[in-house]
Amino acid sequence: MESVKTYIESGILELYVLGDLSAEERSDVEAMSKLHPEVKTELDEIEKVMSAVAENFATVPSNKVKEQFFNQLSFSDEDEGDVDETKAEAKVIPLNNSNLNFYKLSLAACVALLLVSVVAIVNLNNSLKDSKQQIAQLQTSNQSFANRVNYLDQKVTVSDEALNIFTNADFKMVKLNGTANSPESNILVAWNPKQQKVMIDMRSMKMPINDQDHQYQLWALVDGKPVDLGVFDAENKTAGLITMKAIGVAQAFAVTLEPRGGSVNPTMDKMMVMGATI
Amino acid sequence: MIKTKKIFLEEPELVAALQQRKKIGADALYEMYSASLMGIISRVIVDQEIAEDVLQEALVKIWNSIPQYDPTKGRLFTWMVNVARNLAIDKVRSKDYRNHSKNQDLENHVNSIDEQRNSVYKPEHIGLKDLIQKLRPEQQVIVDMIYFKGYTHVEVSEELEIPLGTVKTRLRMGIIELRNYFK
Repeated sequence: MESVKTYIESGILELYVLGDLSAEERSDVEAMSKLHPEVKTELDEIEKVMSAVAENFATVPSNKVKEQFFNQLSFSDEDEGDVDETKAEAKVIPLNNSNLNFYKLSLAACVALLLVSVVAIVNLNNSLKDSKQQIAQLQTSNQSFANRVNYLDQKVTVSDEALNIFTNADFKMVKLNGTANSPESNILVAWNPKQQKVMIDMRSMKMPINDQDHQYQLWALVDGKPVDLGVFDAENKTAGLITMKAIGVAQAFAVTLEPRGGSVNPTMDKMMVMGATI
Repeated sequence: MIKTKKIFLEEPELVAALQQRKKIGADALYEMYSASLMGIISRVIVDQEIAEDVLQEALVKIWNSIPQYDPTKGRLFTWMVNVARNLAIDKVRSKDYRNHSKNQDLENHVNSIDEQRNSVYKPEHIGLKDLIQKLRPEQQVIVDMIYFKGYTHVEVSEELEIPLGTVKTRLRMGIIELRNYFK
């Protein structure tokens, strides 16, 4: 027993735990620990304290270590799984393929649909453009028709009015012929003494065109005195019949060229046309 | 330090799981011992990156060498600590490591100095420092040389010019001191 105590106290067990013994010495210690429980107990105690020392300054390593450590290992319980997986993979591939085919077909269908849609959109866009052009053309021609209709309508109204007057027995047609000042000129005056209405026919009128400073003035001669019936311009030929100032009694009508706006008394040497009512 | 011990196996179960190369064995090995082994390696190698490389190497070596572990000859943890410590000491003594140390630039140097300083503030290191300071200087130097510097007791005896028996006795006394500390 004394020798066992000396053995323990020699410090060889500490060196054993710290891994600082030759193979021979190690098997010696192992033999002793099997033979003597005290040696075994002492060894356990030393291991415990060295474990406690180690745990006392434990430092958690970074996760990188764990990752790399596990990357280097292969496990029996996972190895079998791996083998199964390789076998299963042969079966899985066709499934994957059919899945893949499905997606491929879907993709192809989508692309085809997209192409058809694009073509349809281009076609529709073209016909839309055509339609818009046609609409524009139709609008233009419609506008010109409307204009023409308006124009014709105005003409018809004017003609109607003229026809009414010409066919009305109450109207007297007085033709004013050119004087020496303008032998080629003439004006037709339509006069209704009952209604005291005086009109001149612009279309049939033949008069030299007046300038901006002058206007023609129509006069009625009543018992030798001139009566102002209003002014007009010679260039307005589309107006048809225009109504002048009213008069019920007149022996003759005459037109003089006067400053624009007309005069109180006619300028006799500028008389252009004249005609008697009787 | 927070210890995340999600998986815990009793030592015989762990040994069995490791020997059967089951994943749970590797999980338990890592969860239960990586931090402690890192602590040991960090005592030998200051540079954390190199220490982690050595830890990884040690874990792989433990995994691969587990058939050589004999439960009748000691605790699993003792065996693992010796594997890790020996790898760390080999690393420190390697040409590679010495070159690395020489080539350390200023920044790394500052880091390693900081790490050494910081270790003062780590509770576990305070514990160890107090612990070792509790030892008598002559015990302290021997524990340090054998446990962390990888000297054999014969080398220590030659280096310090102390008789072999004295080295062993001082080591034993030192470890008994530590034992009292943990009681």
